[in-house]
Amino acid sequence: MPNLTINGQSYFADAPPDTPLLWVIREDLRLTGTKYGCGVGLCGSCTVHIDGHAVRSCSVTVGSVEGALITTIEGLSPASTHPVQQAWIEHQVPQCGYCQSGQIMQAAALLSKNPNPSEQQIVDGMNGNLCRCATYSRIVGAVRRAAEIMNRAAEITNEGASHG
Amino acid sequence: MVRSTESATTRREFLIRSAATAAGAFLSIGLSPLGNSIAAAQPIAGFTPSIWFTLTPDGKVTMHIVKAEMGQHIGTALAQIIAEELEVKWEDVRLDSPLESVENFAIYGLAYTVNSGSVTTEFDRLSRAGAAGRMALIEAGALVLGAKESDCTASNSRVTDNVSGRSVSYGEIIQKVKIDRKFAYPDDFKAIKLKASGAHNIIGKSIPALDIPSKVNGQARYGIDVFLPNMVYGALVIPRTRYGSKVKSIDDSEARKIPGFVKAVKVDDSMGKCTGWVVALAEKFPAAVKAAQALKVQVDPGPYAGVNTGDLFAEYSQTIKNAAAGANWVLEGDVDKSLAGAEKVLEMEYTTDMVCHATMEPLNATVHVVDGAWHVYTGTQSTSFARMTLTAYLSKVLGQKPEEIKIYVHESVLGGGFGGKQDYDEILAAAYCAKEVGRPVKLIQTRESTFATSFPRTPTYHKLKAGLKNGQLVAMNHDICCGWMGPRFSVGKKYGTDWLQLDSWDAKKEDIDQWSIGGSDHWYGVENRRVRAFDSERTTWAVQASALRTVSNSYNVFVVESFMDEVAHALNRDPLEIRLALLNGKGSARGIPNAGYAPGTSSDYYMDRLWISLPWPNDNSWPAYESTTVGGALRLANCLRIAAGRAGWGAKKLPPNTGMGIAVSSAEERQSPTWVACIAEVTVDPQTGQYKINRLTIAMDPGTVINPLNAKAQIQGAALWGTSQVMAERLTLKDGALEQSNFHDYQPIRLVDVPPIDVELIDSGHHPSGVGEPASTVVAPAVANAIYNAVGVRVRHMPITAEAVLAGFKKKT
Repeated sequence: MPNLTINGQSYFADAPPDTPLLWVIREDLRLTGTKYGCGVGLCGSCTVHIDGHAVRSCSVTVGSVEGALITTIEGLSPASTHPVQQAWIEHQVPQCGYCQSGQIMQAAALLSKNPNPSEQQIVDGMNGNLCRCATYSRIVGAVRRAAEIMNRAAEITNEGASHG
Repeated sequence: MVRSTESATTRREFLIRSAATAAGAFLSIGLSPLGNSIAAAQPIAGFTPSIWFTLTPDGKVTMHIVKAEMGQHIGTALAQIIAEELEVKWEDVRLDSPLESVENFAIYGLAYTVNSGSVTTEFDRLSRAGAAGRMALIEAGALVLGAKESDCTASNSRVTDNVSGRSVSYGEIIQKVKIDRKFAYPDDFKAIKLKASGAHNIIGKSIPALDIPSKVNGQARYGIDVFLPNMVYGALVIPRTRYGSKVKSIDDSEARKIPGFVKAVKVDDSMGKCTGWVVALAEKFPAAVKAAQALKVQVDPGPYAGVNTGDLFAEYSQTIKNAAAGANWVLEGDVDKSLAGAEKVLEMEYTTDMVCHATMEPLNATVHVVDGAWHVYTGTQSTSFARMTLTAYLSKVLGQKPEEIKIYVHESVLGGGFGGKQDYDEILAAAYCAKEVGRPVKLIQTRESTFATSFPRTPTYHKLKAGLKNGQLVAMNHDICCGWMGPRFSVGKKYGTDWLQLDSWDAKKEDIDQWSIGGSDHWYGVENRRVRAFDSERTTWAVQASALRTVSNSYNVFVVESFMDEVAHALNRDPLEIRLALLNGKGSARGIPNAGYAPGTSSDYYMDRLWISLPWPNDNSWPAYESTTVGGALRLANCLRIAAGRAGWGAKKLPPNTGMGIAVSSAEERQSPTWVACIAEVTVDPQTGQYKINRLTIAMDPGTVINPLNAKAQIQGAALWGTSQVMAERLTLKDGALEQSNFHDYQPIRLVDVPPIDVELIDSGHHPSGVGEPASTVVAPAVANAIYNAVGVRVRHMPITAEAVLAGFKKKT
């Protein structure tokens, strides 16, 4: 019975080790913000963070992620105020919303590694995430806006540090 | 529940009552898509002046939204319409969905969200409902303030006496006064004066959508997110053919070795639904998927086992040779005579491939039988048709009378719709499995089985002729052959029960499936014109042809607008100039100023045909609102001028191998147009045939714009849907089965292919029409025309592949 750490909590997965992580997250732990879209890593709806990296949870097994730190959309920010979530609301990105947990997790991982992505880097970083409503035009702007929010917060923290 | 027996009353009167007089009589049914709580009926203490909203003593207003939420943020738009006339503070607005119970079904009539029609069909009655509520509150507020009613006005959820300056909140009013005002139908309704478009405060504002916060933190609940105690999971064995196979035997010896496997169920397909379906049930979904793969199913592949897409195209080109087999959809002037008298006849063939919805949420349904009642949990575009179809199915399967079958459809948010969630096979199969296993069943279609059992847009074939004389287009003939979806929806006729009859889809054109031909009835002033419709019944059944975003507009606009460019080039006229000249607003293209919303195009039409008692009188003579066709082709010409101007048509200097292309459209239906024009700028690589869309410029006039920011989101999304259709999407039938299985071989647009989109929204103040679909029609023809203008290659097939462009080059040189 694999032992998983998800959003800071520890779980024993009642599933064979070769079970895709997605189904344990969604159907067993009922963290349903993580969505099933294609099952083979082609659409990104099931994206979660594993040790800070954006990973397609449909394509990793529970047996392979024991000991790793897993974060789902529910654990991204306690009050749903992660800069990416703020930017997503400001830019009114979601339509049907089904792919958006994956989009947001992908964007958050992208920005954690590259706080100032160029437009091309945003396109490259987000291209694996399908959106059938095609909210793409707003996704690029929202990722840029999230970067602004994060960098502004970092500046304030730094100012506080230097003055304090 | 009392309300359902009051339908005779509500047809004639609009009751204005407060809690004091009506507590207990007015019930609201809470939406509970999760858990096993069942439609708990709870009286709401408050003011429920119509079925559309409830005002509670805390001053909050809950708008009851019967339209499905599938990404269009429809609840926010409809709430804006009510709030505008009710004069309620936007911060006080909440939404709910009242469609849980059979009782509400009777009250609210048909719940069906299609055709980008929600705002169009609801605008007038919701405005009047809001206004009536405001009038009653002003009357009661005057009483509280000891003021004259005529001195009082309402705004921001308060009634103010303009003489004393004192005011009282809506919440306080309903706590203090019994309101029991009635509005007689129709006179009191007609007397309500609605605000002019310039006087709106909430309509026309880019208010953030109320459902969006739940869509950034994983909290929005879709059908796939439902859990019921003791439920089992179902996974479908991919059927041998799309339609018509019969299961002969099932060998579950391998499946039984899979831990958690429960059983294999051969789904009853005697209604002609779910043909050849076998569902593997297991305690967990991964086990169900493994079991489905392990089951060995022997089938009789049925009558469509040998059908391929190529055969269908060949059949169509033969079918239209027999002109007598066609039915006239459009007929003006004398086409044959004017073609015979033309100096030149331009004759072209066009084809379009199948595409499917591929909603991000795979198809799914959960069914639970409690005390003999069937509880369905799913996201559907029509809880009503879901209920009716399941009723017809269970009636057949169980041998019970339809009226003995009790069904509750618990609606969830939809993970995409696009016309793809108005077929109900998952629900039928989940219900059948629930019956067989005696436990709740959550049936999740894998992506692969979602593709295999999808309801695609039909393949189509078109032959067009244009008569050219004296530099003018004098005649046009358009023959269309394709699968017709209408007959397939005729559950009653085709499936041997007369419970549901929808076999005649258009009162004026009984023989034609308007959903498969519409869009060919363009607004150009061509004196002699004919559209002839030919059906391929084999296609209808073999592929299960269905509606996909803009329905037949999505191919007919591609064909008409490509051909219109060919006409322009044949006449040596500028494609913009000839369109503006033909969009003259004369004759049948003048539009109808004040005839109401034409029957046959709105959901009211279906209500009529289904004998459902209505919450609001369904009166086709209702005079209050203007037709969306008002202005006719002149509004379309206006959009075209604006788009052409913004794109720099004829003025912008373009790099080599780059061209602009035009297209216009009036989707969704001739009777419910949204006017839209598009200019695409495209650069073609002559070495590879690959092309890049540099920019899309779109101008749209949907009448009154309810929420500009959201309308633009819908237009952008629709434009990219169209981009996806022209560049990449293609579904094919091989040996009776749909060939594509996942996003490796069926590739919707991704971020890398997204062009900049310039959207100009024209708020013309007319009765609103839909914004969710029309922009998807114009991109493909604009791109086709741009490719021609860039490099002189005409591709008469959709999608337009690089190979086709390259082949065009080779043919040219």
